[in-house]
Amino acid sequence: MLNAPPPFTIDSQQLYLEIPQSPEEQQPYSTSGACQRGWINQKCLQAFLPWFKEEIAPTARVYPNSAALPSFWEVVNGTAITFDSDRLVLIPTLAIDGDELRVPQEWVDIPEWVADYYIAVQVNPDEGWMKIFGYTTHQILKTKGVYDPGDRTYSLESEDLIPDINVLWVTRQLNHSEALRAKIAPLAPIAKTQAENLLERLGDPDVKFPRLAVPFSLWGALLAHGGWRKKLSELRQGLLIQWSIPQWLQTGVANLAQQWGWEKREFLVVPGGMRSAEPFLGLSRQIIVAQNTYELRIFPKSASEDYVWRFELQSTTPGGQIPAGFKLRLLTEDLQAFENNQDTATTPVNMLYLEVILELGEALVWEIEPAPEDYDREILRF
Amino acid sequence: MTFSFYAPRIENLGKICKILTQQGISFWLYHCIIEISYGSNSGKYSMQPRQGIVEIFSTFVQFEADQFSGWATDAKLRRSMKVCLERSSTERSDTFWALYWYKVWQNESSGVALTHISAYLQEVCYRAARKFARNFSTQSSVGDCFQMAIARVDKILKRFNPEYSSNLKGYAELAFESIIKDVLRERREADICSDWALLHKLSRKRLVQSLQNAGFNAQSIESSLLAWECFKELYTGDNTKIRKLTKPDAVIWEAITNLYNAERLSRLSLPTVVVNQQTIESWVLSSAKAARTFLYPKIVSADAPLKEENDGNLLDILPADLPTSLLTEIIEQEEAANARNQQAQLNEFLHQAIAAMDAKSQQLLQVYYGQKLTQTEIAAHLKIKQYTVSRRLSSIKKLLLLTLTQWSQNTLHISPKSDVIDAINTSLEEWLKIQYSHT
Repeated sequence: MLNAPPPFTIDSQQLYLEIPQSPEEQQPYSTSGACQRGWINQKCLQAFLPWFKEEIAPTARVYPNSAALPSFWEVVNGTAITFDSDRLVLIPTLAIDGDELRVPQEWVDIPEWVADYYIAVQVNPDEGWMKIFGYTTHQILKTKGVYDPGDRTYSLESEDLIPDINVLWVTRQLNHSEALRAKIAPLAPIAKTQAENLLERLGDPDVKFPRLAVPFSLWGALLAHGGWRKKLSELRQGLLIQWSIPQWLQTGVANLAQQWGWEKREFLVVPGGMRSAEPFLGLSRQIIVAQNTYELRIFPKSASEDYVWRFELQSTTPGGQIPAGFKLRLLTEDLQAFENNQDTATTPVNMLYLEVILELGEALVWEIEPAPEDYDREILRF
Repeated sequence: MTFSFYAPRIENLGKICKILTQQGISFWLYHCIIEISYGSNSGKYSMQPRQGIVEIFSTFVQFEADQFSGWATDAKLRRSMKVCLERSSTERSDTFWALYWYKVWQNESSGVALTHISAYLQEVCYRAARKFARNFSTQSSVGDCFQMAIARVDKILKRFNPEYSSNLKGYAELAFESIIKDVLRERREADICSDWALLHKLSRKRLVQSLQNAGFNAQSIESSLLAWECFKELYTGDNTKIRKLTKPDAVIWEAITNLYNAERLSRLSLPTVVVNQQTIESWVLSSAKAARTFLYPKIVSADAPLKEENDGNLLDILPADLPTSLLTEIIEQEEAANARNQQAQLNEFLHQAIAAMDAKSQQLLQVYYGQKLTQTEIAAHLKIKQYTVSRRLSSIKKLLLLTLTQWSQNTLHISPKSDVIDAINTSLEEWLKIQYSHT
């Protein structure tokens, strides 16, 4: 399987990275195209991120988190990486001509997805390398890029890219402030019923190009919500995940949800008025904010006839506290607030908590401010 | 004027030119020297140098038996230059006119300006083409490589920055080499790919261009693109070995056809009727064929370049008056670019910066830019892994770029915006190539 190496010298303005050998993760993508897309993006990330952390930005990490990535690649090309307070999107391609950088509209016009930089990467799986052949900014993409409504992409000719990614590093080193992002219009949020309709329609794996099947305003709003994006991917891939809290308490946390960090645990809770502690079964996950670890707990309160659930946030460090300014918030599935849905630490406290009365089958989204590392919205059903 | 050296070795040419530049001798001389030395170096090939400004900007290389055989004049361009010379009160160098036409092209996207520059760059392009056709055993002829490169002069100009680049010829030569390298690489890949694999290795832009080049009309292009998308989405084969992708089987063709038919009404502005499998197959194959043909364009005759746009009165094409502001700008730039002090300072600074690096880094620069080895040869030579070469080189240049940019900030008071740093990076690349090529 020895391929003759290219007889020409490497382009010294363009960085070559080796495609790492690693066992292929089996993800049941809905089409061959999606499978190929997932593979290319995965390899690109594996090669790029370590180099980028070493040479350019040690704080770089994938956005929002590794477990979430297949739900992006199922429907769109591209992988986001945050570093310091900026974000870039890797846009890999198999094209050998290097004529253009073609960025899906999702990465340009969905406010939650927008990045500062877009990196053009040429991937050659047969020869086992990939090459960064240029980069650009959101600003340039929006102003100079050509929008193609046919495949909903913004494209730039390669002559309009900056070919050497070192320029990115030097610009940042010299602290020159440039407008990296253009202003874009916010996407109107969609209601729960509309989302459900869209999910039913686009969740059908027979729809081969879901991103082109409905107007972008609807598609973008659907994807922007992490919970719906995950659901879409799960439907298309035939992963019947139950994000059902009562079910997890009974039969254990679903495998996929474990990837998101959830586990079933036994807590010792001292109910008011009782002398001894009673063990309660609940769910727990760790979250990290500003390099400190906290635990989010969810468990039922059986005090009355009502279907009550309690949410708690605590530091995992013994004696540790929640810093002032932190908030624990709950929202409806379509991100609407409701009465008493938020607890704020006005001064440092030991715990933030919320108790809510729910209907059987009702869904909630939790949020923490400041946003935890790796945070991606989840829809939990009760 | 006399030249007291006969047939100087190519490695010494750079030194000679540097000396001449520092003495402020115009680049017109520089290129005459090149022509004469090349003439005495090889036997059969003797590219006669062009003498007058008018010739330099209106004649094109003619090939015979894959070698230079003479200069062909484009009458329109000749008239255009003569008019320019008449209108210009002072006598000016060819670098001045090159910059002038560059500015006209930049401001007006003028086809005439572009072809003047193509004419100006003929020798440079020929040199680059010969280098590749000779040094690398490819199936491409000199004429072929020449064609590939000269067709992309507009792309080269897009990234040319006269404020930071030494001169258009120097910049263009490196750019031509880069282009020829890229096209040869693309061809090599396409040659070892099956049609089905090639379809996966095309950008949408490239495919559109190929179809246009093959004479497809708008509706055909649109429907071919959709068929291509459907093909790619449903048939990929092994992720790691794409090149040998075989033809899809009947079941997959059926799926592709059904998908096309399902999508056509919503996706196409000029939807076709429902099509059958054979049609889809033939469209998809035609796309692959068009892409291959585009990579191997037919050689066009030397004076075809000027397209039929603006075929009217030449005086309408030329800017009404050589605008004085444009002239002043060019003169200033010419003077700035040839500024002796700065050039010497810059050289000194970069030499010091490199000398301050560790031995391994210096060695890598020497081996890459000086000896022009391939990646594998460098890896073997330095006993490091192949991919490490690229990473290390990138790392070294990153630091060099930073120090050079900081120096430019302090000395030249440039503002470190990304397009400026990009231009500095390109000139750093040029500097490195020239420096090491004659040590």
